[in-house]
Amino acid sequence: MSRTGVFVCHCGTNISATVDVVKVAEEMKNQPGVVYTEDYKFMCSAPGQGKLKEIIEENKLDSVVIAACSPHMHEKTFRNASEAAGLNAFKVEMANIREQCSWVHPDKAEGTVKSLDLTKKMIEKVRNNEELEKITMPVTKRALIVGGGIAGIQAALDIAASGTEVVIVEKSSSLGGHMIQLSETFPTLDCSQCIMTPKMVEASLNPNIKIYTYAEVEALDGFVGNFRLRIRKKAKSVIEDECTGCGICIEKCPKKVPNPFEMGLGMTKSISVPFPQAVPNVPVIDRDSCIYYKTGKCRVCEKVCGPKCIDFEQKDEIIYEDVGAIVVATGYDTMPLDKFGEYGYGKFKDVIDGLTFERMASAAGYTAGEIQRPSDGKVPETVVFIQCVGSRDESKGVSYCSKICCMYSAKHTMLYRHKVHHGKAHVFYMDIRAGGKNYEEFVRRAIEEDGAQYHRGRVSRVYEREGKLIVKGADTISGKPLTIEADMVVLATAMTARKGADKLAQTLGISYDKYQFYSESHPKLRPVETNTAGIFLAGACQGPKDVPESVAQGSAAASKVLGLLSQETLQREPITAEVNEANCIACFDCLNICPYGAITSKEIKDRDGNLIKEVAEVNPGVCMGCGLCNAACRSKTIELRGFLDSQIFAEINSLAA
Amino acid sequence: MSEESKKTEKEWKPRIIAYVCNWCTYGGADLAGTSRKTYDASVRVIKLPCTGRIDPLFLIKAFERGADSILVSGCHPGDCHYNTGNFHARRRWTAFRDLLEFSGIDMRRLHFSWISAAEAVKWVDVVNDVSEKTKELGPYDEFQRINERIEEYDGIFAQQG
Amino acid sequence: MNIPYYPGCTLNTNAKDLQQCAEYSAQALGFSMVELTDWNCCGASLPLTDNSSMGYAGPANVLINAKEEGTKEGNEDKLTTLCAVCYNVLKRTNYAFNNDNNKLDTVNSLLETDYKGDTNVLHYLEVLRDEIGYDKVKEKVTTQLKGLKVAPYYGCFLLRPHNEVGLDDPYSPTIFEGLLETLGCEVVDFSHKGECCGSYSAMTNPENVANCSFGVVESAVAAGADIIATTCPLCQFNLDGNQVKQKSHFGDLDEMPIIYFTQLLSIALGKDINSISFDSNSISPLPLLKEKGFV
Repeated sequence: MSRTGVFVCHCGTNISATVDVVKVAEEMKNQPGVVYTEDYKFMCSAPGQGKLKEIIEENKLDSVVIAACSPHMHEKTFRNASEAAGLNAFKVEMANIREQCSWVHPDKAEGTVKSLDLTKKMIEKVRNNEELEKITMPVTKRALIVGGGIAGIQAALDIAASGTEVVIVEKSSSLGGHMIQLSETFPTLDCSQCIMTPKMVEASLNPNIKIYTYAEVEALDGFVGNFRLRIRKKAKSVIEDECTGCGICIEKCPKKVPNPFEMGLGMTKSISVPFPQAVPNVPVIDRDSCIYYKTGKCRVCEKVCGPKCIDFEQKDEIIYEDVGAIVVATGYDTMPLDKFGEYGYGKFKDVIDGLTFERMASAAGYTAGEIQRPSDGKVPETVVFIQCVGSRDESKGVSYCSKICCMYSAKHTMLYRHKVHHGKAHVFYMDIRAGGKNYEEFVRRAIEEDGAQYHRGRVSRVYEREGKLIVKGADTISGKPLTIEADMVVLATAMTARKGADKLAQTLGISYDKYQFYSESHPKLRPVETNTAGIFLAGACQGPKDVPESVAQGSAAASKVLGLLSQETLQREPITAEVNEANCIACFDCLNICPYGAITSKEIKDRDGNLIKEVAEVNPGVCMGCGLCNAACRSKTIELRGFLDSQIFAEINSLAA
Repeated sequence: MSEESKKTEKEWKPRIIAYVCNWCTYGGADLAGTSRKTYDASVRVIKLPCTGRIDPLFLIKAFERGADSILVSGCHPGDCHYNTGNFHARRRWTAFRDLLEFSGIDMRRLHFSWISAAEAVKWVDVVNDVSEKTKELGPYDEFQRINERIEEYDGIFAQQG
Repeated sequence: MNIPYYPGCTLNTNAKDLQQCAEYSAQALGFSMVELTDWNCCGASLPLTDNSSMGYAGPANVLINAKEEGTKEGNEDKLTTLCAVCYNVLKRTNYAFNNDNNKLDTVNSLLETDYKGDTNVLHYLEVLRDEIGYDKVKEKVTTQLKGLKVAPYYGCFLLRPHNEVGLDDPYSPTIFEGLLETLGCEVVDFSHKGECCGSYSAMTNPENVANCSFGVVESAVAAGADIIATTCPLCQFNLDGNQVKQKSHFGDLDEMPIIYFTQLLSIALGKDINSISFDSNSISPLPLLKEKGFV
């Protein structure tokens, strides 16, 4: 007979307000196998855990049920405490009577009944639990970062500082992300390239950092501490190691194409680097526009290349990297504006988005920092900035706030006014969100020192009349409609997840929300971890945020990585499958169904070496504990430890009439 | 379940067993709690690592032991924490559904859903929906009656010696 | 081809000019508009109020009647209408029925028969473009309206809310323009083609209507149009009437005649202009049409 101890937590009043915890503890005394019950205010506290250990030792408990919060919250806490008292961690179960009971059922009678059922269920389960020993695994002391923007670079530098090798995989042909496109950053008006390029160069020179650009992660195998990634290095048509970055090929290339880095308004060549300070400074041939790939002619770049490193036949390269931890820092995109015909984007050349204005204002941009109307090149005398285009908009956009637009719109008014002293800047806003350090002061400066005019209201239409853009909006503070004749309109578009974010998440096995932002483990307390062990997040791929936050998250993810990799071995949960070789009929349904290839066939031989039979065998290092094999097994000989049929049937039976 | 939870016909409260996966639906249900949403209290959750772990016998056993409805919920196709677990669950279900129906199980009492760890609202909606539908259908006492019949027959056979 | 037709409250009365020419054009194009034997008011503004199940009951009834009519032998299983507001209301009712089960059940409980959300509602313009085809229309055109610069005015009800009504793209529509080009008109793009004329605040706030109508007319004038073609009886009333009644708002602006699109259509299809009634017009289009040589 088992000796089970039951602890019912009040959790202050979080549970006891809507569940009669005293009653639950009392009733459990009557359950078979239960030798001790107690209700307690805060089981997870130091005294609570101390009490747990004490009771286990005193009463020689062989199993414990803690009716409290979700196991996702404190299963580890209580398992560790029990282990310290000499009880096997896997003889400890939690009944979730908080997140899935007390917090969601306001009727105390109902909540108590449900808590009784749930606690009883776990008591029945735990009586069937086996003692399991943790599995130790080696750790590959290397890390990989997907994304070479500010968050990814920061994480790489911090990890490399410890001497650990880091690989950065960047999709575009240079590091930099979106930050390198910005002109000046709030709230200091630091030149973005000036603060970012040193970091990019530092990363490229660091001997511990290996950088793949124009490359993407295609597949992931393995598990925490032992990942293997398949990376596709797309063909640049340039031999990277031999290129000196002289730029003659770019100069001589005859084919001009719109420059995506300049938001389509400036031109570049078919062979190009996205911007002059690109890291690595190795050009890439865009095979979709290059004359040679289309017609077989030209090849001018090849002719003028000194080091002879143009290679038209170059193919994509597949590379495998083994790492122990991964940081995802893939950044953001901005919302496409085709649903916002009311602002005339796409119809009127002088209606542009925020990133385009950044390129215009940037000294290294296609206008060398001059603010000019895209339609006729004239300097705009009046510019209207519209905030919340797509954000906070449940009908046509996204429901969330993109966090940075209030700040960068204020910044834009300042940049504009600094360059066009007589210009008029108008901002249409719903609210001003300036919560960071020096942020509020920054917005006040835009209004009070730089004369930006702020109007609280939305814009219903932008239309063209005699070369001017007529902006029809509302001023809710005066209660009147407000029409402004503008020369240029800048739309603060919503920040969205990268296109293809879902595919990457599925490749890596991490979760994402309905907007395809990657899901953190806990919104408050674990912002840079995912629910997939060994994979961390940093930056805007997790949700809209600004540069300081992205940098902070990059460092935070790095610290998590270093914590993981600093261990000599990793302990893995022993929730793995095991085969009863006596009963196995070798149908290998399990082998075929296993998503990880953890099952192989094993030959059983007699003493003379004759084959008796084949059976299935599970590699506990690879097994991830999903239980598919257990469900598929015809003879029920392969079982998932920790979730045996007997344990589950015990739970079902306990819920019987 | 305790005696209180299934009384006479008048005070009958539905008994619904939910087999959920640890990573997605269980997380979504926790999030509903963290967000203090409220929903029907009829569901009792059995946590599994993955819906792919579900043996069809679990479903039959649950009905046999008095469940009025069963809910199976896991990650959205493509998002399974174990890559393909939910695909197998779905396939198994497709193959098994007709057999269950043939053996006379009331398929209106068997529900499937995909709920991610971020979809607290969907968990609430699905639980309320299943509870509502179960209340309309009433207690599932076919199995109870079968058990009574079996006892009856046992008695008859015993008499016949 | 017989298409069931829902006139709504104004088409047989205040807007009979719109209807007359539509019927003539239909005949000329080889289809006939079969008025529903039983119908009621669409409710106009009722479904625009928040969550009014009652407001959906009226139009649902119309749609049920239309379905019955549509399944009769010899009739197309569709419903067409000329009034922009009716079109908007019927489409939004369909959307609510197909996307909100709760609304479906609540509204059906108020009706004698259940509506399933399956009546296919087409605006007259859609009938012309999709059922007849603009090519066929072109074949039947006897008088090309050459040299007539027309500003196609949609008003707001036909285009918004886009996902519920969805006649065409709300900011770059083409269905009306396509028809006018087929008739040989020179189509003028103007900024206010989808802006509101003031609608029924004509009752409560005539100043506002005058302002809105002025905006529409002024933008058509600025774009160089000779005439504005309308699709809605209320727009016609507002744009036309206000130019005379609220002349102060229009200042020095040249008077712009406003004409129903069906009137233009029927002229192109050979209707004798003298048989077209312009009695409701404050500004008669006749002088312009004469000048362009269509009389």
